[in-house]
Formats: sequence, C-alpha cells, structure tokens
Amino acid sequence: MSPNLTLPDIAPGHLLRRRLMAAAAVVLLAGTYITLVLTQPTGLTDGLGASVALATFAAYLISALLLLAAVLPELPVSTLTLIPVALALNIVLGQFVGSVMIPLYLDSLGTVLVGFLAGRRAGAATGVLGTLIWSLFNPTVLPFAAGAALIGFLAGSAARFGALRRPYLAPVAGLVTGVLVGVLSAPVAAFVFGGTSGVGTGAVVAAFRSMGDSLLGAVTKQALISDPGDKAIVFLLAALLVYALPGRLSASFAFVRRYNVLGRRTSR
Amino acid sequence: MPRTLAVHPFTVLALVAAVVAITTAASRWWLSSAVLLLCLGTAVWARRARRLVGLGAAILVPAWGSQLLIHGLTDATGAHVLLAAGPIRITEQGLVTAGELGLRTAVLVIAGLLCTVLIQRHDLVAAVDLSGAPPQLGYLLAATLFLLPRLEQRQRVIGEAQALRGARVGRGPRGWFKRLALRSVPLVLSALQDATDRSAHLAARGFPATGQHTRLRSVPDSANQRRLRILCLCAVVLGPLAVLAPSWGWFS
Repeated sequence: MSPNLTLPDIAPGHLLRRRLMAAAAVVLLAGTYITLVLTQPTGLTDGLGASVALATFAAYLISALLLLAAVLPELPVSTLTLIPVALALNIVLGQFVGSVMIPLYLDSLGTVLVGFLAGRRAGAATGVLGTLIWSLFNPTVLPFAAGAALIGFLAGSAARFGALRRPYLAPVAGLVTGVLVGVLSAPVAAFVFGGTSGVGTGAVVAAFRSMGDSLLGAVTKQALISDPGDKAIVFLLAALLVYALPGRLSASFAFVRRYNVLGRRTSR
Repeated sequence: MPRTLAVHPFTVLALVAAVVAITTAASRWWLSSAVLLLCLGTAVWARRARRLVGLGAAILVPAWGSQLLIHGLTDATGAHVLLAAGPIRITEQGLVTAGELGLRTAVLVIAGLLCTVLIQRHDLVAAVDLSGAPPQLGYLLAATLFLLPRLEQRQRVIGEAQALRGARVGRGPRGWFKRLALRSVPLVLSALQDATDRSAHLAARGFPATGQHTRLRSVPDSANQRRLRILCLCAVVLGPLAVLAPSWGWFS
C-alpha cells in the first residue's frame, strides 16, 4: 500500500519521544518482572499482598499503554484498517473454538496474523488494543495486555526472520513465543488473581502446589504446559491463513515485501 | 427499556477505577461486599441486572473454582487444618484466602462489567474522538466494536453455506480442524479484502485527520464531571497509598 501523501512526515522529536516511551515500557515491564521473581512475596490478601497486586496490575497495564502510545501513531493506514479485523477475528474465532469444547484458546489468531502481515510494532499494538477492547467484556484480561503485546511482537519478529518461508518453522516460533509469554504472564496470574481463570488450569496449579511449589512456580509451570502448545497451533493456523491469501493481497503489505516474509510463495 | 446515565463515559470509567483500586487496597470483605451490592443495585436501576449477572457469572464461576482448588483445597501453610487426605489439605486460612481473592476478583469483574452495561458504545467512541487521544484510537475502537457483530453474522452465514453445500467435516481433531478451516478461511479472506479496500479510501482522504473536527454526536459533560474525574484519578493513586502505607511499617 502506498504511504499517505497528504500527511506531513514525522518530526524527529516525535520519533525520539516514541522510542523513549517504548524503552520506558520495556524497562518498567522487565523491572516489575525481575522484582517479583526475586522477592516472591508470600502474602496475597494482607497489606503487602494487596500492594503487590495493585503494583503488578498497574505496572503491566502502564507498560502496555506506553507501548501502544509509542507505536500507534507510526502505523500506516493499511495496518490500521487491518487491526480491527484482527481484533474481531480474535474474539469471533476464540468464541467458535470455545463452543466446540476443544481445550485451546486460539484467541490470539488475529494478533499473530497482523504480526505476520504488518510487522512486530503492528502486532504489539494489536495485542494491547485487543486486550483493552476485550476487557470491556472481561475485565480480568486487562493486566495481561503486556503478554498480548509480546505475542504480536514475537509473531512479527518470527515473520521478519523467515518463520513463514517453511511451514514447519511457524509452529516452532509459536512454541518459543508460548514459553516467553507464559513466563511473562505468570506473575500477573499469581499475584493479582492468586492463580488462574479456569478450573482445568487451576487443577494443574493446585497439583504443583501440593508437590511443594511456590504459587509463582506452580503458575509458571502450568503456563509452560498450556501456552506453548496453544501458541504453536495459533502460529501454524495463522501461517496457513497467510498462505491461503491471494498473492495480490499479501503483497500489498509493505512488511511482507520488504522482508520477503513468504519467500518463494510470494510469486504465486 | 434500559435506563441510561447522562454522564460522560470517562467519568464512569474513572469512578470505577477509583473504587476498584481502593477496594483492592483495603482488602476488607464488608467493603468488597458493599461495592458488589452497590454495583448490582445500579444495574437493577439501569434494568440491566440480568445481563450483568450473566456476564459476571460466566467469568467468575471458573475463576472462583480455580481459586478454591489452589488455595482452599491444597493449602500448604495454614496451621488450622480442617481436612487432610493425600494431596488435599483444607485449612481455615486457605479457605479465607480463597474467599478474599474471590471477592477481589468479583469487585474487578462486576465493577468493570458495570461500565460496559452503563456506557453506550457510541458515547465511548465519541468521547475518545473528542479527547486528546491519537485519532487512530477512536477509529480502531469504533471499527472493532461495530465490526464484531458483522463478522459474527458472517461467520454464521459461512457455516450455513458450508452445511448447505454438504461439506463433510468428520469427527475428532481432524474434523475439528476441517470445520475451523471451512469457517475461518472464507471469513479471514473476505475480512482482509474489505480491510485492504477500506485502507485505500481512507488513505486517499488523509486519514488520520489532525486538528479539531466537528462530531455530530455530543457527549454529556460538565465542569462538575471534569472535577470529579480529576478527583477520581487522584484517588486511584493516593487512595491505595493512604490505605496501604501503614502496613509497610514506614510510620511505626
């Protein structure tokens, strides 16, 4: 898609401010995660536990919003029109999968699709926006916005470095993404909600707890069991959907052309 | 017919954020219960109580089940043991923790869903547009909220069309995958085609527009509401600090 000809170029000062915002988001997220892992607060509902819950919620949400503010103004129009489609697909396909009793979420398919077609910044923005809009229907997802941003970011990175050039590489990239997202999201599940949001995953955490694990350790292990498989399937499905797109449509995305995302498949 | 509040959407959001932050910080069962009752009362007044309870139950029942399993049935640290059999160890402290976490989650979910019930989506989109947020945000919010029912309808139509043409899907994981492919491929292709067509029109018209622009829909607002929003935002930060600071031991 051609760039917008009617708008002025981005001023260098704005660019620097956005970079600083993105860096601040990453520092805040990493700092919070490292602090939680090193200190591992034990109380959940006392004064300290409430402080940790609020601080974790706020830090993860603020870092996601900073990332969104840094990325959103830079996105081209072709990506902006793609994002609502991806967000709606996350919800519609997530509901369809939920209705057929398959133990998978597949609620990040649209985010991964945007990452594959429009790059990691667009993927990260889609992850945050998707969580913000989904929180209108389920407020508990709000602190997981940073994890959703990481999914989109890693999907874009995987596509950039050739994960779509061979069909078997996409699920491998999904597997790695699942591990990283599971590890990043575990403190939110552990310290904000005291566990997980489903009975099945709760039973797995309870099993690890009864074997002597700490709450954070048990939630992290549960996330490492369920997330990599789910993300591997999501990445594979998104890759198959991208392969099914007409070449004219996939080649209309500058990211796909610039990084030769589809390899030889582009020439179809 | 549901009743609506003539208030700015951001006022509702700021009020709910302050209430959730202070209630979470306080961690008192009676305060959480009072907030929940207030939310339910407001939903009854707005004639949306059934929707609020339905949506809330769908989220809270599995979350409560998980918290009961993790803290109520396998608590390793509580001293007052009520039952111990194999991996199951039910303690009084574990049950109290599960109950308190359940109330904390309930306040977040019910108060958050109350926003959805009270705020009209048209007002929210207009409020985002008129605020200082990037213009892209208003477009994305509006496009997603109004695209969602259209895509759901399109997905149903695709399913009916596949059934009419006699597409066989079979059973097991292979059948599930085929059913997913039969629905998602036409849905994604058509949605992406629409998005690509739309982007050309938007780019040709200079989207995103900068500067002031007129909106036909006005959002109810007042000086008092603006003051209340500022007060609520201060309460989001200072409220929990005031409640929690004594427990950190800095003032002892």
